[in-house]
Amino acid sequence: MKKLYSNKLVIFSLVLPGVLVFLFAVLAPICLSVYYGFTDYTGMGEAHMVGWDNYVKLFHDSAFGRSLKNSLLLAVGFICIQHPLAIVVAAVLDKLQGKAEGVFRCIYFIPNVISVAVIAYLWKFIYNPDFGLLNNVLKVFGYQGKINWLSQQNAIWSVLVVLIWHGFGWGMLIYYTGIKNIDPVLYEAASIDGANWWTTFFRVTLPLMKPVIQINVTMAVISALKQMETVYLLTNGGPNNSTQFAANYLYQQAFKAFKYGYGNAIGVVFIIICILVTVALNHLFKDKQDV
Amino acid sequence: MKKKIIASLLTAAMAVSLLAGCSKSNSSTEVSNDAQNTAQESAAEGDEAASETAVASGEAVTIKLFSNLPDRKNGQGLVEQMIIDEYMAENPNVTIEVEALDEEAYKTKFKAYAMDGMPDVVSIWGQPAFLDEVLDAGVLAELNEADYADYGFIAGSLEGFKKDGKLYGLPRNTDIMLIYYNQKMFDDNGWKVPATYDELMSLCADIKAAGITPIAMDGGDGWPMACFLTDILVRVAGTDYAEIVRNAVATGNFSAPEMQEATQILVDSAAAGMFQVGYDSQDYGTTMNLFTNGQAAMYCMGSWDCSMALNEDIAPEIRDNIRAFTMPVVDGGKAGTNDIAAWNGGGYAVSADSAVKEEAIRFLNYMYQPDKLSKYGWENGVGMSAQDQTAYLTGNETELQKQVMDILKNATSVSGTPINDCGPSAFKTAIESEIQGVSNGSTSVDDFLAAIGAACE
Repeated sequence: MKKLYSNKLVIFSLVLPGVLVFLFAVLAPICLSVYYGFTDYTGMGEAHMVGWDNYVKLFHDSAFGRSLKNSLLLAVGFICIQHPLAIVVAAVLDKLQGKAEGVFRCIYFIPNVISVAVIAYLWKFIYNPDFGLLNNVLKVFGYQGKINWLSQQNAIWSVLVVLIWHGFGWGMLIYYTGIKNIDPVLYEAASIDGANWWTTFFRVTLPLMKPVIQINVTMAVISALKQMETVYLLTNGGPNNSTQFAANYLYQQAFKAFKYGYGNAIGVVFIIICILVTVALNHLFKDKQDV
Repeated sequence: MKKKIIASLLTAAMAVSLLAGCSKSNSSTEVSNDAQNTAQESAAEGDEAASETAVASGEAVTIKLFSNLPDRKNGQGLVEQMIIDEYMAENPNVTIEVEALDEEAYKTKFKAYAMDGMPDVVSIWGQPAFLDEVLDAGVLAELNEADYADYGFIAGSLEGFKKDGKLYGLPRNTDIMLIYYNQKMFDDNGWKVPATYDELMSLCADIKAAGITPIAMDGGDGWPMACFLTDILVRVAGTDYAEIVRNAVATGNFSAPEMQEATQILVDSAAAGMFQVGYDSQDYGTTMNLFTNGQAAMYCMGSWDCSMALNEDIAPEIRDNIRAFTMPVVDGGKAGTNDIAAWNGGGYAVSADSAVKEEAIRFLNYMYQPDKLSKYGWENGVGMSAQDQTAYLTGNETELQKQVMDILKNATSVSGTPINDCGPSAFKTAIESEIQGVSNGSTSVDDFLAAIGAACE
């Protein structure tokens, strides 16, 4: 067996499929995107080189700026609201034990199982000013006005609530698995030392969850950057781009506005931003680990 | 360092997979129908019913139809399906496969098809925002205009489907911008159809005071509101409308006083509560439901929604009381009551690269035989055809149909293409988004006009 694995032909044949997939499904599209980013291609007909025009336009495009700002807002929302909640809920679930633990685990994970299309339409109805659940609940408490939850001013917050709610179960499940992997002996020792629940949580659970938090936060930031489906179905970036996200804006420009070249320029900048964010996060966590 | 490179490459892979996902993300509605299966079965059995067409030589032919009418049981979609079923029954060796998506998804997939092989017969729009790039790419087959001399097309209706004098598609409808209203609700409350825009404003105030939404407006999609703006602009500019818009699109300068006045009227109307709360984020279906459920007194949409008067899903007390009027005149505006916002928009074309091009054109011509699209369209109340329909009046038309017919018959001028479809598709995308901002007051009129001008460059 060892001899087989040292055979260069065998190594080559095992590595080849992966390399091919990387070359043709990843590298080639990136190169094509870079190429089309320098053209005025409409998606049909001929493409003409326009130099850096698309990139110059992009940096003056307020809708693109808005979409990056919204992605950042969502990432902050994930990190500051969704994840702290998810860790606490995971810790509480771990302490629940018995049947309740399983039941609540399932309940919290349900939004993740439901299709994005259903989620988007569900919330569209909940937010509807005329017959939506939210305004009707407010009516029960005596408020007679109609709040427009998806107005230009409110829409981004309403969208953030949906996205944070939708991704909550997934984050919670990963934290829950992380907590389950912590050696119970440590809790026992903390308990003998007289630590209460909060002290145990902050001194034992959280420090041991660092690798899990690192993965989860990285995934959250990336998913905030590439957010598309829910926004597309819920508001399609509107009203007037107030809930625009980079991926949705890319789609609109490339496939609705017939600006395929411009869409690719957005894609290239998007890739660069993703890479920079990943490198920055790696740095951040590396420093922490070193400390 | 190596770790960083790997992490970076993996991230890049993620971002690219997103791009790749975009092009295939539309779920399509594949329309199956029993008649299609029946036709296939009968073809297999070698049905004797030979037709005069070359298609009926016995060779099995499959025509792929890509349609923007996903509802095959009501309105225009039903009419299209009826003709398909008839054609397959008459030509047993022909199978017509329909793929139908709603408008936005349709236009997106149309472009994907344009890059990678189009279906044989496709829905198109005879408007610059859609057709310019499509014709430049040369994906549509040229049609022989002389073939359609006897088809009764209304004068000028083919113009939007031409380039350099060559015809590439045929119009299906004459679309008129209308304000539908619930007559019973009007009568019960003593409300009158407004004769001027000021009267419309005070009517809306009265309706709002009664706790009812005055006009249901699909502002989430952007284009119905752009059509509404077109209607106001027609009232303000009269027959100069087309010239003003053409110049503005050509120069990227929308600062004409008529444009400013029309936009300001829209802004003031929205601020006065003419539309439902949240109109700028609500879609077509939700908006229409507000009207058909009796929660809104009026509904602004094109004449293609006349089929509401025959839609059994709508309660009879509302369905039977749907009437329509055109945008009332604006004080000081150049348009009279009978200068209307109307155009020949949607239609059909054949793919230039179709493997069954001849058969596809034959089917296209079949659809446009005067007793097909026009007749069935009229009988099913889907509004006005782009062909002469006078021969098909049954005397059993709904009140709404009669009203719309009178509106068109009495029209002294028609506007042509609505403003959002007059420029390149980047302009269309921009105006349909920016109009949400200007109408809800978050963008000024000047900024709106500057932004849509910039999109024309």
